[in-house]
Amino acid sequence: MSAPAQSPRVSTDILVEIDRLVKEFPVERGLLATRDVLRAVNDVSLALRRGEILGLVGESGSGKTTLGRCAIRLIQPTDGRVMFEGTDLATLSARDLRRFRRRMQLVFQDPSGSLNPRMKVGDAVREPIEVHDIARGSRARARVAELFGEVGLDPSYVDRYPHELSGGQRQRVGIARALSVEPQFVVLDEPVSALDVSVQAQVLNLLSDLRRRHALTYLFVAHDLAVVRHVADRVAVMYLGRIMELADASVLYQRPSHPYTRALLSAAPVPDPTAKRERIVLSGDPPSPVHPPSGCPFHTRCFHPRKDARCVEERPELRPITAGQSTACHYADQW
Amino acid sequence: MTPLLSVRNLSVSFATPRGVARAVDDVSFDLLPGETLALVGESGCGKTVTALSLLKLIPEPPGRTDPRSRVEYAGTNVLALGGEALRQVRGGQIAMVFQEPTTSLNPVLTVGSQIAETVRAHRETDRAGARERAVGMMRLAGIPEPEERYGSYPHQLSGGLKQRIMIAIALSCEPRILIADEPTTALDVTIQAQIIELLSDLRKRLGLAVLLISHDLGLVAGIADRVAVMYAGRIVEEATTADLFARPRHPYTEGLLQAAPRVDRPQAALAAIPGSVPSATAWPSGCRFHPRCPHAWDRCIREEPGLLQAGATRSSRCWLVVEPERRRPATTAVTGTA
Ligand SMILES: Nc1ncnc2c1ncn2[C@@H]1O[C@H](COP(=O)(O)OP(=O)(O)OP(=O)(O)O)[C@@H](O)[C@H]1O
Ligand SMILES: Nc1ncnc2c1ncn2[C@@H]1O[C@H](COP(=O)(O)OP(=O)(O)OP(=O)(O)O)[C@@H](O)[C@H]1O
Ligand code: SF4
Ligand code: SF4
Ligand SMILES: [Mg+2]
Ligand SMILES: [Mg+2]
Repeated sequence: MSAPAQSPRVSTDILVEIDRLVKEFPVERGLLATRDVLRAVNDVSLALRRGEILGLVGESGSGKTTLGRCAIRLIQPTDGRVMFEGTDLATLSARDLRRFRRRMQLVFQDPSGSLNPRMKVGDAVREPIEVHDIARGSRARARVAELFGEVGLDPSYVDRYPHELSGGQRQRVGIARALSVEPQFVVLDEPVSALDVSVQAQVLNLLSDLRRRHALTYLFVAHDLAVVRHVADRVAVMYLGRIMELADASVLYQRPSHPYTRALLSAAPVPDPTAKRERIVLSGDPPSPVHPPSGCPFHTRCFHPRKDARCVEERPELRPITAGQSTACHYADQW
Repeated sequence: MTPLLSVRNLSVSFATPRGVARAVDDVSFDLLPGETLALVGESGCGKTVTALSLLKLIPEPPGRTDPRSRVEYAGTNVLALGGEALRQVRGGQIAMVFQEPTTSLNPVLTVGSQIAETVRAHRETDRAGARERAVGMMRLAGIPEPEERYGSYPHQLSGGLKQRIMIAIALSCEPRILIADEPTTALDVTIQAQIIELLSDLRKRLGLAVLLISHDLGLVAGIADRVAVMYAGRIVEEATTADLFARPRHPYTEGLLQAAPRVDRPQAALAAIPGSVPSATAWPSGCRFHPRCPHAWDRCIREEPGLLQAGATRSSRCWLVVEPERRRPATTAVTGTA
């Protein structure tokens, strides 16, 4: 399996369109309990093409999970829209939303957290099949066995409990459960972050195979840039709730244009002591999302030689830099 | 060079409801003055238990350190020490930094006073002197505005700053050895880069020897002089960093390198290692890697190889060292079942 930039199944046809999405959370601070607002996702627009894997990377707290959850309407955005095949999810009645829900699924980071410890894993996979009236009884059980085979689990495991499986096996159960309702779109939230390298590779290979076999579209959330390079067709880099750079994976990894993307890439370890690499060590910590910096959100840590007063005053919009690459930096093309 | 620390035949087991977990089994290695030795391997291989047992930090029971185990430091066996002598080695000569700074810091004391406390526990100094030294250590650990941060409580600091505080505490008594157990695993990648830079800088300036524990071969490639790879409670390969990455000699090391996606170049396929790390209560017979090894033959199932010399400065616990013709040609990516 490989992840070529132009995967044959990726078209220009848009499956999910995220439009100026904002998600705020109230936060209480200090003894006086003053109420502040934290903008976890701040004016994000992204379109997922049918059949693509869009990687979403960024450091802890940058808003990846929140964006992923809004994209399948597990949580309601504060502002902005999510269109699924042209339908605005906000306009749907509860009943219609339930029908749509089957087409959008989520796979979590920690497979044990998402599985009921007292439910046999076979039942956990069968449950959504019955809830969505896809099959019942022996037909549902046959479908579970088929799904187990598909994710590389021995069908005899249906009678096991989550704690009787390894982390990689539990993640396979989580994937089988998400696939059981035949979705078109799957949000994978750090699907391999809890796994050991040797098992991580098994699950990544499985996810790539499944996408090909079922023409799935993934939003693949991860903080590990190497993992994302391996699977994604395009990559969006988030910082403080905003997209800093959005580019074809082949372009982003070879010619990153946002200073933050460059820093992330240079900080990602490479298992090769002879590799010649650019060393960028950012100073300081990311600022609090409750009080984001003025102007460019990255200016407090930016090392771009052209950084100036404009960066502090004026926020750069995401704009096309080269073919297949958009960047939110005033000086992205002036390195 | 005479080693600073010599670990010989270290074996640690735990009594568990499912039987005896042989977490660390007959592990031996040397740490030379000023060098960085990395101990790498996947979850459950025994890295943390090894680190903790070097300072007699394993709770017994349920743990049990085999009486034949030795940890030689400055002519004495640390495992035979107790009381004040042990306390002087811990933190005074050999210091430790853990993965989770949050759980190792006291939430109700200021971070500065926690550093000062360690200083006073190990050297004769008054309150003001300890405070001054603590501020100096904070500066050494790269904490901006150390005088102001002295009075901060742990929850007021970011993960990266907390880890710098842990490093300041560890270094405050001028140890000769620093044991760092996954010091950056809980941190974001840009903060990880800061901490790694700090550690290599300190090591050069202070001439520290570092035992770095990590599951991340990439991280290790950047800073270690030598690497010991652990699998299933044993060291399975040991070599200089350059040799290990250029030409791994143990199929497990090779598998780890092929399974890791790379950020610096495109890759067609990841070769997964089939299966997963077995449970410490039931290590496989013979070579413990045999159920997952693409080269295994009947000898591997019956008989466990020792750590075999595979070159002037390297060794591998694999029968292929003596029977290289048994090696199977490389296969293409295995999707592998769990
Ligand atoms: N339910 C909530 N209430 C309040 N704040 C929240 C809530 N969920 C998320 N946040 C905040 O929103 C911001 C974005 O969080 P989010 O979980 O989306 O980040 P992330 O990029 O997924 O991070 P990680 O890599 O740690 O998973 C963070 O500052 C987080 O603390
Ligand atoms: N207190 C304990 N009681 C029982 N078993 C234990 C105890 N501590 C560790 N073990 C077992 O010893 C083995 C080695 O554990 P250890 O923590 O050293 O692994 P590790 O290599 O550090 O893994 P990780 O990368 O997950 O930190 C594991 O199988 C673990 O379950
Ligand atoms: S806009 Fe300015 S501060 Fe922001 S990334 Fe670009 S150069 Fe840096
Ligand atoms: S001894 Fe045999 S099973 Fe073990 S690693 Fe070597 S070839 Fe594989
Ligand atoms: Mg998240
Ligand atoms: Mg550990």
